[in-house]
Amino acid sequence: MLRRFLDWLERETGLVSAWNRFWSQPLPATVGWGHIFGALLLLCLVILFVTGGAMMFYYSPTPDQAYPSVQYIEHYLPFGKFIRALHYWAARIIVLLLIVHLVRVFLWGAYKKPRQMIWVSGVLLLLCVIGFGLTGYALPWDQKAYWGTAVRLKIAEGIPLIGHAVANFLRGGEQLGAVTLMRFYVLHVFLLPILVFLLVAWHIRQVHVLGVTPAWVKVGHEGEIPKTQRLHPDHTARIAVGAILLLALLFWLSAKFPAPLEPRANPLDTAYKPHPDFYVLWLHELLKLFPPHLEFVGSFILPSLLVILLLIVPFIERNPERHPLRRLPAVTTGLVILFAIIALNIKGMEALPEPEKLSPLAKRGQELFVELRCYTCHGINGGGGPVGPDLGLGGKRDPKKVEAILRNPGAFNAHTVMPSYDLPPEEMKALVAYIVSIGPNSKMPPIPPVEPEKPPSHFEENWFANHKFEVRKDPASCGDCHKPFFCQACHQNRRPSSHDEQWLKFHFGNAAEQPAMCNACHTPDYCEECHKLMRHDTKWLKGHGNQLVKFGELKKWSDLTMHQLCYHCHTKQSCDECHKGALPESHKAPDFLQRHGELAGAWAQGAKTNQLAQNTAVRKTSHQVCVTCHTKQFCDNCHIGTKPKSHEQPDFVLGRGTRDGGQVKSGHAREALKKGLQSCQTCHKQEFCSNCHGTEMPHPQNFVSIHVREARKDMALCQRCHTWNEPECRQCHSKRPPSHTPDFRQTHPQRISDGGISCQVCHGRNACMDCHKLPMPHPRDFVKTHGELAKQKGIKGKDSVQQLQRQLCSTCHADRYCRLCHLPATSQR
Amino acid sequence: MAMAEEQMTRRRWLDMFVKMAAGVAAVALSVPTLVMLIVPAFRREKAPWIRVGHISEFRPNEPKAVTLSYQRRDGWVIRTARTTVYVVVMGDGKVKVLSNICTHASCVVRWERSKQAFFCPCHDGYFAIDGSVKSGPPPRPLDEFQHKIEGGEIFVRLRT
Ligand code: HEM
Ligand code: HEM
Ligand code: HEM
Ligand code: HEM
Ligand code: FES
Repeated sequence: MLRRFLDWLERETGLVSAWNRFWSQPLPATVGWGHIFGALLLLCLVILFVTGGAMMFYYSPTPDQAYPSVQYIEHYLPFGKFIRALHYWAARIIVLLLIVHLVRVFLWGAYKKPRQMIWVSGVLLLLCVIGFGLTGYALPWDQKAYWGTAVRLKIAEGIPLIGHAVANFLRGGEQLGAVTLMRFYVLHVFLLPILVFLLVAWHIRQVHVLGVTPAWVKVGHEGEIPKTQRLHPDHTARIAVGAILLLALLFWLSAKFPAPLEPRANPLDTAYKPHPDFYVLWLHELLKLFPPHLEFVGSFILPSLLVILLLIVPFIERNPERHPLRRLPAVTTGLVILFAIIALNIKGMEALPEPEKLSPLAKRGQELFVELRCYTCHGINGGGGPVGPDLGLGGKRDPKKVEAILRNPGAFNAHTVMPSYDLPPEEMKALVAYIVSIGPNSKMPPIPPVEPEKPPSHFEENWFANHKFEVRKDPASCGDCHKPFFCQACHQNRRPSSHDEQWLKFHFGNAAEQPAMCNACHTPDYCEECHKLMRHDTKWLKGHGNQLVKFGELKKWSDLTMHQLCYHCHTKQSCDECHKGALPESHKAPDFLQRHGELAGAWAQGAKTNQLAQNTAVRKTSHQVCVTCHTKQFCDNCHIGTKPKSHEQPDFVLGRGTRDGGQVKSGHAREALKKGLQSCQTCHKQEFCSNCHGTEMPHPQNFVSIHVREARKDMALCQRCHTWNEPECRQCHSKRPPSHTPDFRQTHPQRISDGGISCQVCHGRNACMDCHKLPMPHPRDFVKTHGELAKQKGIKGKDSVQQLQRQLCSTCHADRYCRLCHLPATSQR
Repeated sequence: MAMAEEQMTRRRWLDMFVKMAAGVAAVALSVPTLVMLIVPAFRREKAPWIRVGHISEFRPNEPKAVTLSYQRRDGWVIRTARTTVYVVVMGDGKVKVLSNICTHASCVVRWERSKQAFFCPCHDGYFAIDGSVKSGPPPRPLDEFQHKIEGGEIFVRLRT
C-alpha cells in the first residue's frame, strides 16, 4: 500500500528519488563533528516552530489578554509550562549555537568561492533570529516585556534623524501599547517565520548543490579530498548524537528552570528596572562607552557596521587559502572582534546585580510574603499594588521596627490601611528576615494566579482608586470572591465618605435598597448589634425608655442624648404625641418647677429613686436627664435671663487677686468647691471649664505627677491661676532639685532644654537677668547687635569694651573668646 | 569482501541508530505538544456552586427572585455574569431553585402574589409555584437548577 503510494508519487513528482539523493549525498572525508551545528540549528528552529506554533493556539496578542493567556498556558494546560520553557530555552540556546556555527564556518573558510551566498544567507538568518528574540521578548506582556521593550525603543529613538520615525514605525504610534504588541506578534509568528523558512531553504539548497567544503584545501583544489562518506548514515549519526544531547539539555533546562513570568505589565510602575538578556549585554556595554549625545554610535552605527562587515566578509577576504594559519590577518581580526564582544558581555554580566541570595529563613519569609499577599499593596522594585510603599526603596530596615510595623501598623500611622499581622514567632522571624534583606536589586517573587482569577476590572489603570465605583455598581460581585474582612483590612480605619455624621440617620434607606452593599464590608449580623435592642416589636412601647438607656450604655454614645437616637427615624412630634399628655411622675408634684434644679442634681448624683440617673452615660451632666425629652432651648427659655444668684458676685469669673495663704480663690472656684462640681454640671458641660482654663479642670487626680509636662506645654496657662512662689509650689520646690548638681552653675546653659521655663518656677522670671544682666539665652541676632551693647548699657569712655567685658561677658566667656572672630589688630592688613 | 560486509553491517547499525534517534526526538517533541493541544479540549469542568443565600431569607410559599453574579471563565477571559433565579420554599419545606425564563419563548416570568403563580407577560403563560404549567402556551415547566443546602446556605449550579 505504502509502496504503491510512493511509486505513484515518484512517477508523478520524482520526490522520492530526490529525497533519497539528498540523504545519500557523498561528503568529503574531512567532514566531522564540527559540521553538526548547522543541523542542530535546524533542530532548534524546528523546536521553536513546534512550541511556538503550539502556543499560538492559546496566545492572544492584546495588552488585556496577552498576560492572562500566557498564564493560562502556564497554569491550565498540561505541559503548558514545559512547552513555554522549551521555547524560551531553545530561543536562548539557538543564539549560542549560531555563534559556534558561525565561528566554525569562518575558521574552515567555508564562505570562500563559490560559497559566498551561503554565508550571506547565513548572516541574514542571524539577523532574523535576533529579530525573533527582540519581538518574542515583548509577547508575554509582563513587566520585563513592557519595560525591556520600552528601553529598546528608547535606544532606537536615539538614532539621529530617523530614530523617531523608526521607533514610531515599530510602535505603530507614539505609544507603546496594543498596536505595538500586535506588530511584534505578526513579525514574530508570520513575517519572520516566512523569511526564515525561505532563507533556510536557500541556505541548505546551496550547501547541497555546492557540497560541503572539504577542510584546509585551497580554493579550486576541493577535488583533492576524496568523498568517502555519505550524509546518511555516516554524518547523520553524528548529528543524531548531537541532537539527542541537545534535546536532553533543552528538556532538562525546561523541566528544571521554567520560563520566567514577571507580574503583569504596568505602564504606571516606573519603579521597575529591566535587565537585558545575556546575549545583548555587550550591546548595552557598548552604549555605555559613549557619552549620551553620541549614544547612537554605540547603539546604531557600530552594530550596523558590524552587520555590514559580516555581510561582505566573503567579498573582502579573497585569500584563496582555507587553513586558518595561512590567512592569519582575517582570522585574527575575526577572533579579536569575537573576543571583544565576549569581553564586553562578561563586563556587562558583572555589572548585573547579584541575584538575590536568600538565607533559608528569608526564603521562608519570601514564601510568607506571597502567602500573606503582601504584594497586593507592596511592590518590590516594581510589581505589586500601589497602596503601600515599594519595599525595594527606603534603604536598610531595622528588624525591630519592621516587626513592630507588622504587628501594629496603626502605631506608626493612625490612618494606615495596612492590616496588622499577628504571626507566630517563627513566621514573624522569617518574614522580618526577608523584609530586612530586601534591597534595591531585589525582585518580586513570582506570584501564582489566585483562585478565583481577578476579573479584568482589577487590571484597569487606577483600579485601586476606582474600586468604589465598581462596588456601587454591583456590591454582590465583590462578595463572590472577597470575604467581608478583606474590605475591613483597609476600611476599618477608613470609613466610606457616605458614612458621615448624618449617616446613621439615613443608612436605613440605603440598607433596605441595597443590603449587599453593606454586606460587602459588614457581616450580616452587624446590623443585629444595634437592632436587637431596637426591635420595635409588640412589647417595645412598654419598655422603650429603659431600652434606650441600655442602648446608650452599650454604645457609649454619650454625645448623643438618648432621644436623638429616636430622631434618626422619628420626629419629636411622634414622641410628643404620647409624652405631652403623659408627664413623668416626678413632674406632677406641685412644687416641681421650684425644685427641678435640685432634682436634676439629685438624679445626676445617682439617687436610687431614679432609674435613668443610675446610668453612667446619663450621669455625665445632670441636665442630660432633662434632654431626654427637652431640648436645651427649653431650659434657656427661662434660664437665659436668670443666672443663679451665685454667679452675680463681682469676682465670680476672675478674681485671682483674692488668694491669700493658700486660701481660695475666684468666686466660681470657691462656689465649685463648696457645692461640688455636680452643681456646675447641671447646666455646664465639663468642657465649659476648659474653654477658659485651656486644660482639664479641675485638675485630674494624678495632676501632680504630670504637671511638669503640662506646664511645659504652655506656662501661661498655669499663670492664669497660679503665681510663682505660691506656698503650694514651695512645698516641693523649696529643695534643691536633683538636676542641680554641684557643677550646675557651669553646666546649666547646656542643660536647659525648655528655654528656661522650668527655671522660672523657682527663680522667677528675672532669674537669668539677675546674674547675666542680659536677656538669656542671647537673642538670635545677638552676634549682629552686640557691638551696640556698651552704648545700651551706658558705658562710655575709651576702654568701654574692656569694661563691658569685665562687667558682662566675662561671666561666661574668656577673653580670647572674642578673638574667635575679631582678629588682633596686628594681623589685619 | 569481508571489509565490505563489515561496512554494510556498520551502516545498517548507523541507519537504525539515526532512525531511532529521529523517532525519539519526534516523540519527545510531539507528545507534550499534542497533549497541550488536545487534552484541554476534552476537559469537562463542573459548573461551580454559587451561593444564593441563607435559607432563613426565604419564606415558605413566597418565591423570591435572587440575582446571582458570578465569574465565568472563558479560556483566559474572565467575565462577570448575572442570572436571576427564583428560590421557592414549598409548604413542606422542600426547596426549589427555578429559572425565571419562560419555557415558551424565553420571556422573563415574575411571581404574582395575588395570583399565586409565575406569570409570563408575553403570551399570558402561568406557572404554578412548583414551576409546572398552569395555563397558556408554555410547553413544559420552568427549568429547575440543581441545588444543595449546606449549613443553611443554599447553593445552586446554573448549568445542568
Ligand atoms: C528563532 C526563532 C525564535 C526565537 C528566537 C523566539 C524567541 C521567543 C522569545 C524570547 C519569546 C518570549 C518568551 C518569554 O520570555 O516568555 C517568544 C515567545 C513566543 N514565540 Fe517565539 N521565537 C522564535 C520562533 C517562534 C516561532 C516560529 C513561533 C510561531 C510560529 C513563535 C511563537 C511564539 C509565541 C506565540 C510566543 C509567546 C508565548 C510566550 O511568551 O511564551 N516563536 N519567542
Ligand atoms: C538558523 C540559522 C542557520 C541554519 C539553520 C544553518 C544551517 C546550516 C546547515 C545545515 C549547514 C550544513 C552543515 C554544516 O556545515 O553545519 C550550513 C552550512 C553553512 N552555513 Fe549555516 N545555518 C544557519 C546560520 C548560518 C550563519 C549565521 C552563517 C554565517 C554567517 C552560516 C554560514 C554557513 C556556511 C558558510 C555554511 C557552509 C559550510 C561548509 O560548506 O562547510 N550559517 N548551515
Ligand atoms: C504581610 C504582608 C505585609 C508586609 C510584610 C508589609 C510590610 C510593610 C513594611 C515593612 C512597611 C514599612 C515600609 C517602610 O519602612 O518603608 C509597610 C508599610 C505600609 N504597608 Fe505594609 N506590609 C504587608 C501588607 C500590607 C497590606 C496588605 C497593605 C494594604 C492593605 C499594606 C499597606 C501598607 C501601607 C499603606 C504602608 C505605609 C506606611 C503606613 O501607612 O503606615 N501592607 N508595610
Ligand atoms: C470588597 C471589599 C471592599 C469594598 C466593598 C470597598 C468599598 C469602597 C468604597 C465604597 C469606597 C469609596 C469610599 C468613599 O466614597 O470614600 C472605597 C474607597 C477606598 N478603599 Fe475600599 N473597598 C474594599 C476593599 C478595600 C481594600 C482591600 C482596600 C485596601 C487595600 C481598600 C482601600 C480603599 C481606599 C484607600 C479607598 C479610598 C480611595 C479614594 O480615596 O478614592 N478598599 N472602598
Ligand atoms: S414567552 Fe412566556 S408565554 Fe410565551
